[in-house]
Amino acid sequence: MAKQQKETVIEVKDLCKTYFMAGGMSQSVLKNVSFKIEKGEFVAIMGHSGSGKSTLMNILGCLDRPTKGAYYLTGKLVSQKTDNELAFIRGHEIGFVFQNFNLLMKRTIADNVSLPLIYQGVGEKERYKRAVEMLKIVGLKGYEDRLPTQISGGMQQRVAIARALVNNPAIIFADEPTGNLDTKTSDEIMALFSKLNQAGITIVLVTHEDDVADYAHRMIKIHDGRKEYDGLRSAYLNKEGQ
Amino acid sequence: MIYQILKESWISISAYKLRTFLTMLGILIGVAAVVMMVAAGQTVQNEITKTFDSMGTNLIIIGPGETVSGGVRGGRGRPSVSFDDVESLKNLKDVKTASYLVNFAVQAVYGSNNYGVSVAGTTPEYLEIGNWEIDKGSMFSEKDLKTGRPYVVIGQTIVEELFGLQDPIGKVIRLKSRPFTVIGTLKEKGDGLMGDDQDNIVMMPATTFRQRIHSGFRPQYTNVAFVKTVSEDKMEAVANRIEYQLRARHHLKDGVANDFSVRLMTDMVEKVRSVGFALSVLLASIASISLLVGSIGIMNMMLVSVTERTREIGTRKALGASNKWIMLQFLTESVMISFMGSFVGMVVGVLGSQVAGVVFEKQVPISLWSVVISVTVAVVVGVVSGLMPAIKAMKLDPIDALRFQ
Ligand SMILES: Nc1ncnc2c1ncn2[C@@H]1O[C@H](COP(=O)(O)OP(=O)(O)OP(=O)(O)O)[C@@H](O)[C@H]1O
Ligand SMILES: [Mg+2]
Repeated sequence: MAKQQKETVIEVKDLCKTYFMAGGMSQSVLKNVSFKIEKGEFVAIMGHSGSGKSTLMNILGCLDRPTKGAYYLTGKLVSQKTDNELAFIRGHEIGFVFQNFNLLMKRTIADNVSLPLIYQGVGEKERYKRAVEMLKIVGLKGYEDRLPTQISGGMQQRVAIARALVNNPAIIFADEPTGNLDTKTSDEIMALFSKLNQAGITIVLVTHEDDVADYAHRMIKIHDGRKEYDGLRSAYLNKEGQ
Repeated sequence: MIYQILKESWISISAYKLRTFLTMLGILIGVAAVVMMVAAGQTVQNEITKTFDSMGTNLIIIGPGETVSGGVRGGRGRPSVSFDDVESLKNLKDVKTASYLVNFAVQAVYGSNNYGVSVAGTTPEYLEIGNWEIDKGSMFSEKDLKTGRPYVVIGQTIVEELFGLQDPIGKVIRLKSRPFTVIGTLKEKGDGLMGDDQDNIVMMPATTFRQRIHSGFRPQYTNVAFVKTVSEDKMEAVANRIEYQLRARHHLKDGVANDFSVRLMTDMVEKVRSVGFALSVLLASIASISLLVGSIGIMNMMLVSVTERTREIGTRKALGASNKWIMLQFLTESVMISFMGSFVGMVVGVLGSQVAGVVFEKQVPISLWSVVISVTVAVVVGVVSGLMPAIKAMKLDPIDALRFQ
């Protein structure tokens, strides 16, 4: 990780999320979570099932708003923005990689990769050109006119990664990106993430697999909605090892 | 952005060709039915107008009064307008001409041919009243009327039925075994309002008619008389003058009801036209029920589509699609479907009504209405039936939508 000058991409302060359910019940899922993520970092968010990882990712990804606390993305306070403002931020600043790929199965791979650019008003030719560039980066040169149904799961996830890169985001969020893949394919995908990170791209991923987390430099562990550990992945492993 | 939305919508609906086509079919049938019904209604109205135009509209029709017995209105009274009454009306202000008609159905015979005809005893002025034109020969004259000459002027049906290719002028036909000389033929007029053959007519002087065809109960009286005014706007005034004149001639005291009736052709035309229009509206309304069904079909299909594509909607939102974009995309899809349906429906409707026109030998107009109807339907149905699904799509929470299986 090349740490030249520090440039904060994400800053959350005392983030809380409470779900209010029918019948007046409520569940506090995130409790006063605070941390910063600098440009170029590769962070793994870990924790057991139900600990609040996805909830945190949704807020970081501007798909959801915190109940309390502040969230700054590239210096801008985004925690109180409207739906449309959040949509704009997602389109311009964020790249998503999902566990189940979420490709449009009836559209070509190039269409899928360039989909985020439609909402920025980028023209058809330019979109295709960008899709071809991105596919080259993820190692799928020549696949632009195929359909997602004609390629394997690992390749589909590469397409999804290409799609996450296409809008030049400040950060990429991946919620269990290898959850649907076998070990070998998982390793390939993680190698791709590492390569992208080395090229300077900030990555935050959620996983509960140690092998996957090992690709990250830093680890944030959530336990029952609280931050339990935040530091180097290697330091955590050493501590566990004792 | 509009182009991008159109393109995305187009790709989406063309991905489900069969479903899109079946959904379109509902609107297609609906629009085709409405267009055909409107065309049918307009054809009826045109036929009515054509028939009235062939008679002329600045016409006043005088008939018998209504029988009144014990304060209850009954049917038509006996003929009360005399030939002389009608003659006297010619001198009224703004009257162009007047005539009357007595008729009777008999068998006409020429050589070995015979044909059932309608004989009209009338005056030379009837030609102008009924917008008739002489084809060959001439109309009988005022003198022929006075002297009761056995002259007849015959319509084209009778020319064909009795004479075929022969020249009828100067030939003698027999009506009720009595001889009549054909002195003229009438130009063809075509079918009347009720599909009756207007060209099945034998005209002769009313005097001749009374002497040789049918003397009637009151020989000098007629059931129907016509007054043509100089222009349409003078009709009311002339009708009043006629009423005044006839009441005076019939010596009717104040308070006594007319023993005749005066009706304006324009009023009758209006009445018949309004019936024709009501008929068109009724037919179109019935046909539009199928449009309603078609539009429910679109709404249903779009709702299914939104549910099926929940994950797609979630993905699009996560990748930066605004609510407005999502809503417009789904709305555009439904408008596109209804647009294609209406357009094809319009074409089918126009072609169908033309084919029907050929089959029924009627001139069917291709009206601007079909275009207006289909465009309106396309937009209204598309928006109305697409709005609810589009709003549903817009309101989907991206997190829930992404989690949807
Ligand atoms: N929309 C919601 N309404 C109510 N409760 C919710 C909602 N979403 C999540 N929760 C609850 O919040 C808690 C945390 O959920 P979350 O999905 O963040 O867990 P997670 O750490 O991602 O778990 P996993 O590893 O299984 O994906 C869970 O108990 C879940 O039931
Ligand atoms: Mg989760």
